[in-house]
Amino acid sequence: MRPILLSGHERSLTQIKFNSDGDLLFSTSKDKIVCAWWSANGERLGTYSGHQGAVWTVDVSPNTTLLATGSADNTVRLWNIKTGECVKVWDFPTAVKRVAFSPDGSRLLAVTEKRMGFLGTIAVLDINYDGTYTEQAAEPSLVITCEDSKATVAQWSFLAKYILAGHEDGSVSQYDPKTGDIVENIQIHEFDSAITDLQMSPDRLSFITASKDKSAKLISARNLAILKTYTTDTPLNTASITPKKSFVILGGGQAAMDVTTTSARQGKFEARFWHSIVGEEVGRVKGHFGPLNTIDVHPAGTAYASGGEDGYVRVHHFDKSYFDFLYEVEREHLREQARK
Amino acid sequence: MSRLGNRADWADDEEFDDPSALPAQQVIANKDGTKTVISYRFNDDNKKVKVTRRIKTTVVREHVNPQVAERRKWEKFGLEKGHAPGPTFDTTSVGENIVFRPTVNWKANAKEEEKEGGEKGSMKDQLKDKKVKCRICSGEHFTARCPFKDTMAPVEEGTAGAPGVEAEEDKGGLGAGNSSYVPPHMRKGGAGGGEKMGGRFEKDDLATLRVTNVSELAEENELRDLFERFGRVTRVFLARDRETQRAKGFAFISYADRGDAELACQKVDGFGYRHLILRVEFAKRST
Repeated sequence: MRPILLSGHERSLTQIKFNSDGDLLFSTSKDKIVCAWWSANGERLGTYSGHQGAVWTVDVSPNTTLLATGSADNTVRLWNIKTGECVKVWDFPTAVKRVAFSPDGSRLLAVTEKRMGFLGTIAVLDINYDGTYTEQAAEPSLVITCEDSKATVAQWSFLAKYILAGHEDGSVSQYDPKTGDIVENIQIHEFDSAITDLQMSPDRLSFITASKDKSAKLISARNLAILKTYTTDTPLNTASITPKKSFVILGGGQAAMDVTTTSARQGKFEARFWHSIVGEEVGRVKGHFGPLNTIDVHPAGTAYASGGEDGYVRVHHFDKSYFDFLYEVEREHLREQARK
Repeated sequence: MSRLGNRADWADDEEFDDPSALPAQQVIANKDGTKTVISYRFNDDNKKVKVTRRIKTTVVREHVNPQVAERRKWEKFGLEKGHAPGPTFDTTSVGENIVFRPTVNWKANAKEEEKEGGEKGSMKDQLKDKKVKCRICSGEHFTARCPFKDTMAPVEEGTAGAPGVEAEEDKGGLGAGNSSYVPPHMRKGGAGGGEKMGGRFEKDDLATLRVTNVSELAEENELRDLFERFGRVTRVFLARDRETQRAKGFAFISYADRGDAELACQKVDGFGYRHLILRVEFAKRST
């Protein structure tokens, strides 16, 4: 496969996201701009400018009309995807590290940083899709305050039943999005190794967390039971579940401050593919010159994109050998099914 | 400059011989369906550069949902505002081809590879704790730099060296005394390696079939399905053209069991597959 290199950013990537049809790709970086790309050929559709600080996070509404971004300038901005206009700005006391639309797109959660005497919070904002999208609620409909350890990442579970949050101390918690009460909190990763990414499976019944403790875990969204653990040899920044094939893709690398003293080979800047059920590594994809900060998989499972500390986004469309790969067990299972 | 003046002036014709003018772009259609485009341009150093590109065009028809089709018509905005459709070179480029094949025991394979690569790559490491030793006085300098170079004869390895060295030289044979040449079959571990290599080929050949007259459109999976009905297939190799990725017309099928291979050879030889009649025989050794 030939990766498409997208070099629209001048600083390290923070998050990338495909829309629900997979034809568009959005990327955010520390250089204050947000880019929209056609995923098929890597053409840049446009940029969304207005943020005054590093943009930490991005999410697309399920119907691909609105884009939400969170930034170090303490705001969440809502954009009209088609025109590139900013339709709403919400101000927060601290930086916004993660935003996520609910599965039906009616709500947006925003994870805010703990800083300057403010505790970390998860705010839920109601989204209105009428008219020009400019008439949005001024205040969050719910604010969950994380008193123990600040949340670093968060997502919505199946049917928006829970808000799942990963914390700085390596624990994962379930919140009730109606009342804001904590349902459960479980120490999933090693204590004090921050959870760096949390992505849902396509059916939102399970999710994967990546952590600085060099492992990624597949967890049930229902009761936070650990289904699988994938242990690697490098701190992980991101993890993603692939539809179509039962793989997970993990990305990470040596922390940026140590990179200058290590070669690209030792830095382990590779996307690692693990078989999600067997729990075995099946391959790696090289290419980045720095740690991988973010990975997202095409919703149809035909491509994946990775964004690195080196400022590049690499879009990989899988070729035939990827789809043909099967374990002997899987092949036998298919044959048996064909016989029936 | 003269261009600004009288355009009809015949002297302007000189411009055609101007070294700064670029030859026109050439397009050549190749036999295998690809196109070769030769164009010229100036690089950053103002030197003329010939660019030869081989282009293979494939039309991919895709059915997408109406929303996606509607989005395709969107105008560019932001920093891209007003730009023509199509990727621009400053933001989009195509990387080097990456071979990504998921494999079952990837970790073990990668470790082996790394070991091999490590040994090859780190000659410096290997020689790191080797010391320079003078052949004349056994001092820590090169023989050529020895202060006794002109006054002393080199110390004989056989007499001064350790018994281990002596033994090794005997093994080296040839009886040529000082000669350091050792024939390949006498080298340490050389004989074993050779045998192993031969052994591997033999084992492989036992149950490997060579299939010829395979259609250009054949797929590995189809071949696997075809041959798997006779027994466990361990490997399917379909030769492909490097440029076009089309099958070249032959394939190798390895079975776990020789008996299965024999059966398959009998049954599939002469079998019609994709309008062509397959020819199956046991693979011969390449030498």
